[in-house]
Amino acid sequence: MSLTFIRSAAGAALLAVLAAGCGTAATAQHAATKPAAAAQPRHSAPAHAPVTTPTPPPATTAPAPATKAPASSANPIPQGNGGDQDPDNNGGPSDGDGNI
Amino acid sequence: MTAHTSLRGRHVLAVLASVAAIAAATATFALSGGSPGRAFPALVPAAAPAGWPHLTLPDGTAVLSYPPSLRPVSGDADSVSAAQVSPKGVFRLYLNATPRQGDEQLRGWAAFRLRLLTADDAASAHELAAAQDVAFRGGTGSCVIDTYVTRIGAHHYQEIACLVQGRTSASVIVAAAPAATWAQASPLLLRAVAAYQIR
Repeated sequence: MSLTFIRSAAGAALLAVLAAGCGTAATAQHAATKPAAAAQPRHSAPAHAPVTTPTPPPATTAPAPATKAPASSANPIPQGNGGDQDPDNNGGPSDGDGNI
Repeated sequence: MTAHTSLRGRHVLAVLASVAAIAAATATFALSGGSPGRAFPALVPAAAPAGWPHLTLPDGTAVLSYPPSLRPVSGDADSVSAAQVSPKGVFRLYLNATPRQGDEQLRGWAAFRLRLLTADDAASAHELAAAQDVAFRGGTGSCVIDTYVTRIGAHHYQEIACLVQGRTSASVIVAAAPAATWAQASPLLLRAVAAYQIR
């Protein structure tokens, strides 16, 4: 076994250690950010946050080609005091509805 | 000298390989998020303590009992809710009962609830514990304890949500509190869940 090979193997092992360490650190960082969100001021819970909706095109324009639904369409009940105006659509706890 | 160098090199390699293996295993466990397999708290169905008010679902199929420190709050027309809300509007304790409305099933309830949370009003949701065949007054249920962060306000809540199947109906009971105060709030909330009666 040559010294060069030994150095190469040692370098590879060190890289593996560093990579594993980075993964752990990233996870720790991810976990550490969660309480930060929770630590946000809660007094805004019932606040009716403004909902920005895309402005429809003028009626005089030609029909627009079919467009993909916005990402928010995955949410059947609009947030920000929308839909059924439940507390859970305004930052409150979620109720037990079946999303109907 | 060459033999000595070779021996020392192998020794170093062995040590490094061991360290790498340990680090990799640690990273794998951390990335997997660990096991959510916390023990589910015991839920023993029992009538609510004397003095607890009751709310009956509009369709008459279930009764939600709640501690006197909570007050009824508005919600969906077919549901009932009670909450303790601070003067600034912060939900401290929250109870809700809603008839089954969609595809909720006892089997797979935990996954359904998490999907619904993230599809409806939560930016993220994570299961902490789940149980099936949970006894309720008048029925049997599947329950999940989870934590989620709301899209609006990024409020961090923890909840227990149970789909309860009675003889003639099914409904969902939800008990929630800010995640930061769940430890203090959960005994009272679990008491309310255990008192839930379905027909």
